[in-house]
Amino acid sequence: MTRERPTPAPAAPPARDRTPTPAPLSGDPILRTVSRAVFALVLLFALLLLWRGHNAPGGGFIAGLMTTCALILHRIAYGHSALRTDPARLVPWGLALSFVTGLVPYLLGRPYLKSDYGYLTTALTGEFEWATALLFDVGVYLVVVGGSLAIAYALIRVDPHERVEGDE
Amino acid sequence: MTLAVFLPFLLAALCAWLGPRLGRRTGYVAALAFVPALLLALPLAGMPGALPALEVTRWVPTLGLALAFRGDGFSLLFATLIGVIGALASLYSVAYLSPHERFGRFYAYLLLFGGSMLGLVLSDNLIALFGFWEMTSVTSFLLIGLWHTRSAARDGAVKAFLVSALGGLGLLAAVAMIGLAGGSTTLSGLDVEALRASPLFTPALLLTLLAAFTKSAQLPFHLWLPTAMEAPTPVSAFLHSATMVKAGVLLVAKFGLLFGTSPLWSGIIVPVGLATLVWGAWIALRQTDLKALLAYSTVSQLGLLMSLYGLADAEGRFAATAHLLNHAAFKAALFFVVGIIDHETGTRELPRLGGLRKALPVTFAVALLAALSMAGVPPLGGFISKELFYEAMLHQGPLFIGVAVAGSALTFAYSFRLLRVFWGPPRSPPGADPHEAPPGLTGPAALLALAALTFGVWPGGAEALTRTAQNALDFAAYPGHLSLWHGVTPALLATFVTWGLGAALIAQSARVSTLGRRLTPRLNANTVYYALTEGVNVLSSRLIARTQGLALPDQLRIMLGAAALIAGYGVWRSPQVFHAIGPLPLALLPIAALLVAGALGVLLARSRLTAVVAVGLTGFGSAAAFLGLRAPDLALTQLLVEAVTVILFLLVFRSLPRSRDLPRTRWRYGVDLLLAASAGVGATLLVLAGVRFLAPPISPYYLANSYELGGGRNVVNVLLVDFRGFDTLGEITVVGMVALAVLGLVRVGKKGRAPGEAGPAPAPSTPPGTTRPKEKEEA
Repeated sequence: MTRERPTPAPAAPPARDRTPTPAPLSGDPILRTVSRAVFALVLLFALLLLWRGHNAPGGGFIAGLMTTCALILHRIAYGHSALRTDPARLVPWGLALSFVTGLVPYLLGRPYLKSDYGYLTTALTGEFEWATALLFDVGVYLVVVGGSLAIAYALIRVDPHERVEGDE
Repeated sequence: MTLAVFLPFLLAALCAWLGPRLGRRTGYVAALAFVPALLLALPLAGMPGALPALEVTRWVPTLGLALAFRGDGFSLLFATLIGVIGALASLYSVAYLSPHERFGRFYAYLLLFGGSMLGLVLSDNLIALFGFWEMTSVTSFLLIGLWHTRSAARDGAVKAFLVSALGGLGLLAAVAMIGLAGGSTTLSGLDVEALRASPLFTPALLLTLLAAFTKSAQLPFHLWLPTAMEAPTPVSAFLHSATMVKAGVLLVAKFGLLFGTSPLWSGIIVPVGLATLVWGAWIALRQTDLKALLAYSTVSQLGLLMSLYGLADAEGRFAATAHLLNHAAFKAALFFVVGIIDHETGTRELPRLGGLRKALPVTFAVALLAALSMAGVPPLGGFISKELFYEAMLHQGPLFIGVAVAGSALTFAYSFRLLRVFWGPPRSPPGADPHEAPPGLTGPAALLALAALTFGVWPGGAEALTRTAQNALDFAAYPGHLSLWHGVTPALLATFVTWGLGAALIAQSARVSTLGRRLTPRLNANTVYYALTEGVNVLSSRLIARTQGLALPDQLRIMLGAAALIAGYGVWRSPQVFHAIGPLPLALLPIAALLVAGALGVLLARSRLTAVVAVGLTGFGSAAAFLGLRAPDLALTQLLVEAVTVILFLLVFRSLPRSRDLPRTRWRYGVDLLLAASAGVGATLLVLAGVRFLAPPISPYYLANSYELGGGRNVVNVLLVDFRGFDTLGEITVVGMVALAVLGLVRVGKKGRAPGEAGPAPAPSTPPGTTRPKEKEEA
């Protein structure tokens, strides 16, 4: 052989499954109409929670769970995901973001994950506090969204076909 | 040095990104990663001001963990070697790999491996050394299994990983013992006397040996190395010649300074090394696949190096270091040659090849030099180091020199067997039209072959190189020199005997192979390995069948029972953790009622849906309780977790059969009652135990400092992202892992490809004459 390489896997159909197995739990028109508004509201609230988490109840974990709820609602109402990618892909990105946020102070000679904060004052917003911890929190957010959503989607896609004893 | 170790890691990330864009040219970037490693040769050459003696990067100072890189002569020599072979392998693979290869993956793995190897070689900190050691295992697993669609590659990768991870565990224990007994975590700061006096000395020694033997494929752990040749040939050249497998040799060389005084050290290493030398060479002689031949030859040569370093005297170390250089040069060159032959003719099978001398003149010259060096023929480097080997073994006794001669005769024979593909009538598989390989392939090989020649014809240069390690390995006082002619010494006579024997082996090759077939033992390391892994599989599946096959209630009974027993034992042993219950806040009473109602609701529920709602009641009750205790964050989290859990439950319920009532006997009722009661009492006790602080509480500190230090008024959040941010990082890692594991479970049995394998599948490149490497005859 000229070059050693394994025979590649046979070409599979395109990865995007816009309409997977027709989900038995979607298509209710009332749900659709309501979910359109609710989805946006919940998502906004989740982002607000993420944003203000440093000073008031909230934070990446809660915001992530709330976003997951919103996305599941969307998925159930419309039958397809509002995310363009496989949610499992968010997990490594989130982890990397949190890890790198911690790495920066370490490389600057301070303890690993030491957060920093400061204040900016602009004419439009007034005094405004920034904190590197927010970036870390965004990482947490991404992991939580990716992880829980991936599980939920996978469960939604499960097609019950196995029958066990005692089943009618 | 720090740069030399870390640049490959950085560029690995870059290559992973560049791979799909640049294609094969990523190899040039990859080669750049080894430039700092090559620059480490400058201090070796005596350039003033360039000596990096000790570079320490702090890591976890409180644990005595630091990335300490120490550039003594031996480390630098080894690092340079890795740099040279690594860069050449990168360049070679540019021309070698098929255009459909996943370049991003390949070069990233290659660089990760090179980086961990450099770290291993230069590391002075024992814990970091262990870390790099394990990283070489992991990355070589990835490299060997690069073509993971092939079952042989998967098998080889798993085998290599299992065997070297076993040794890695040994090394971890050994490193811990050495650190404890020697009073330091750095190799250079060890109190050698205290270590030698310590009772941990012998266990540490044995565990170190286990690590070295598994990594360097000594008997009986040699089984992984030949299957590791499932990796692409440039990788094999890198793994087999310079690096991975020599990690064990490096360990023996470096730790020999600590353990060498013990008779156990030489007493184990030298016989094992010599046995590996002979056995590996004997198996190599019987291989028909060129790469397999080289793989077993590596096993054999590692045995030689091991036995020399294992002598733990100046003579052995000098000879071994010289041979280390020679071996790296000729073995990598030969792997490259085999790659070229494979590339041009489409096969590596010895019987199907012949007369390649005319078609591949440059390759032939390279192969001739390298193989003759391996065979130990003057005036090549291999001859000189073999003379030193004989010299050292002569001092050990007649038995040692006898075995050494036998092993070298076999080496001589298989070296010539390898060269046979160049003689005879031109014979190549139909459809293949062998012609000289492009310079991208022959160049690296030719460089290495020239090095092998230079080591021989200019022994002074080779000696200067070898002597750079003299202080680090403590052979500065050794008076010997590298030279082609020592006069008529016993070693020279032994060489003549070797040649005679080797020639006889070649002449009688037919009989030798018959004998080899007849002598093949039924039971060998591989069958043992497969029996073991098979056994573990069977055991685990039986265990699962016994435990997981139970009905859910039974599993719950077992779990609750076990938890009650463990907790009960704890309560019995230390009842003093409980203190008197104070007055209860009356405001929480309705919430408690809600919780109890929820719990009772679960019990009485006849359908799953009701049960879930009832469970939700307890969840919301807890949230209310958190609110009552002024923990809005917790309450919010609890609410959301509750919501998501209910959704997940409902999704799962779709695929579950209808809930049934299993008939329970009276005895079962009793058991269940008892279990439920003990679980309830246990949980209550646990909560009570948590109320009493055994140490002053630390929460006031956080309350006082969260705004000052973390810049946030939400103490819980500051705690999560700053004060205990590392915990959070660990937790989200767990969350990610769990999600991936659940995904794997849910997707089991589904058709389609794994996520992340998107993108068009590469078209098969199967030119005429393609052969698939068959399962090799295993030793």
